[in-house]
Amino acid sequence: MTRLDISKLDVLSLLRFDACTRCGECTATCPTGGEAQDEEMVTPRGKILRLREFYKAQYGLRARLLGPKAVPEEALRELSRRAYECTICGQCRAVCPAHLDTIPMWENMREFLVSNGLGPMPEHQQIVKSIENYDNPWMQPRAQRSRWARRLEEDVKVKDSLKEHSEVLYFVGCTAAYDPNIRAMALDTATVLSRAGVDFGTLGNEEGCCGSTLLRTGLLEQARGMAERNIERFERAAPSVILTSCAGCYKTLRQDYPKVGKLPAEVVHITTFVDDLLRSGRLVPTKRVEGTVTFHDPCHLGRHNLLYEEPRRILRSIPGLKLVEMDRNREEARCCGAGGGVKTAFPDLAARISAMRVGDAERTGADILTTSCPFCYQSLRSSVEKGGSKLRMTDLMELLRSSL
Amino acid sequence: MPEGGYLSERARLYVPFFLGVLLMSAVILLLPYDTVYVRDRAYLHAFLVTVVLCTAVFLLGTLHNVLFWMRGKGLVRSPEGRLLGLLWRAARLLLSKAFARALAVFARDALYLSKLRDRSLSRWFMHLMILGGFLLMFALDLLVTLCMDILGYGPMIEEGGWAKLLFRDLGFEVAGAMMLAGLTIAAVRRFVLRPKIVRTELPDAASIVFLLAVVLGGFVLEGMGIAGGIDGHTQDVEYSFLGYAMSLALPASSGDWYDAAWLVHGVMSALLIAYIPFSKLFHMVATPVAIELEGLASKEGTA
Repeated sequence: MTRLDISKLDVLSLLRFDACTRCGECTATCPTGGEAQDEEMVTPRGKILRLREFYKAQYGLRARLLGPKAVPEEALRELSRRAYECTICGQCRAVCPAHLDTIPMWENMREFLVSNGLGPMPEHQQIVKSIENYDNPWMQPRAQRSRWARRLEEDVKVKDSLKEHSEVLYFVGCTAAYDPNIRAMALDTATVLSRAGVDFGTLGNEEGCCGSTLLRTGLLEQARGMAERNIERFERAAPSVILTSCAGCYKTLRQDYPKVGKLPAEVVHITTFVDDLLRSGRLVPTKRVEGTVTFHDPCHLGRHNLLYEEPRRILRSIPGLKLVEMDRNREEARCCGAGGGVKTAFPDLAARISAMRVGDAERTGADILTTSCPFCYQSLRSSVEKGGSKLRMTDLMELLRSSL
Repeated sequence: MPEGGYLSERARLYVPFFLGVLLMSAVILLLPYDTVYVRDRAYLHAFLVTVVLCTAVFLLGTLHNVLFWMRGKGLVRSPEGRLLGLLWRAARLLLSKAFARALAVFARDALYLSKLRDRSLSRWFMHLMILGGFLLMFALDLLVTLCMDILGYGPMIEEGGWAKLLFRDLGFEVAGAMMLAGLTIAAVRRFVLRPKIVRTELPDAASIVFLLAVVLGGFVLEGMGIAGGIDGHTQDVEYSFLGYAMSLALPASSGDWYDAAWLVHGVMSALLIAYIPFSKLFHMVATPVAIELEGLASKEGTA
């Protein structure tokens, strides 16, 4: 009988599993378990109880007295599949009456699954290989990472921060750099920075994947190498601020990188940075952008980093634009369905969740749906198009750039 | 293979632990208990032995669970050594500025249940009644034991004494009534209303039924004492309002069974304590610890 290796479950996770009161508050609002599938096993409570049952059967008091019990392989595979259906959106943390910080708990559960040969999902393997071979999840050559910048207007200058010092280092992120549908996000961000007279640059083709995908799927060791290499590049560039426009990169650089090494500068998300520029008067939107807009809070920006007001202040600063809120906003915002590797491994599930979020947006009566995360953008735009919604999907920087 | 120091770490944890258990057992067994209501000392001794055993099981079970947490990621030496390190850090916290913050977190999130209040008033009330009743009863138990068995404080012992009426009669009655109210709501919610988020398996049902049986048993016992005119139940019995109401439905002869009922109630209460580490009720221990750790760890609310 093979015993589960519990050495990767951290102390706090083990404590949190016991601290779960089984109240079920998390089951109703869990986007994957409660809302999209009505499947208890996918909900936070379901996963906790099942995992506890398994490790207690092998390490609990009864196991110590009477010997460990085998856990059927198919039951373990089922738990793993269900655990990977979680988008790690953190909605369960927001509602948990026991104040359990569930986000690191789910990430740690995946690390445990990986260490026991139960994760990640086969569908993730291609992305993992791509990151290992190409330094990005999109199987694109390294040499094309900075190609997006060719489409910039002539007056927008982007420095190569490794050759020429810049105050601000813009960490573009793989999705905005490579995905032709998202590239506008990088272009708009660079344009906004340029209009504000910010001294900024990028790592060019040297920028490596932040490793977020690896971290969220439990591949911590692999992600560590990516983090070390990027930190070394940051040190060489020596900026004052590391700026990201991707919510996933932001979470990774800000929360995960400090566990690997010291960063030479503060990590700031574009919404915070631009909000400061607007408030200091360095950036003044003047052109009217007519429409009613609703903002989707990316989980990595909102619940994971508590950035709620900055994007809203930016939207309010744009003349002509009217901001309306979805019923579920800020800490209660519904996930877009793309996070935690769900879109890769379970695209149908991701699409169902995303369609629910688009429904939330449609009910506001808005004609523009905006966000500040390339993954949310991708996911929501796909649902808007497939569902024939009249909403126009935009990135926040696109709206701001239009008003400059 | 454990490194050197493994045995010393275990000794440094287990020796004080077992000495503490022995000391507590000695205190429980050696207190005079001159003023307990039960008349037959054999019942009292049976109860005390059960309490000692059950409390020891509770402590051992809790230690076993806590040591299991300590086996988590990054273990270098022994779980016992890691626990000792954490206990040392907790002790240092007591002397630091962070202690005030820790207390505030505990009061707001673990006792007042702030988050639950924001999400559901009815569930918040239910939990507050159970938790509040339990804590009030525990505090009253300590106070009454101190006053009666150590200080020999007259007004707490004498029939009709102000402290007896206020704490032993009314106080325990209020605490029991709080628990009864909370548990009744919990039972109705779980077994009658059955909202979708509630998942009822045998351990969930057993926990509520067991708790209800213990609390209701307390009122029945009080009613038997009043109906049978047992010592300590003859004056101003209205202070024990629910017990008094119960006594109206009981015959005077029920007093004959008082000692046996007292033992059953006491043993059930003790068994409940022993059951905690091995049941879902262990969240009573783990959740406050988690709340405290999450509260102290969250500086900016980052994950």
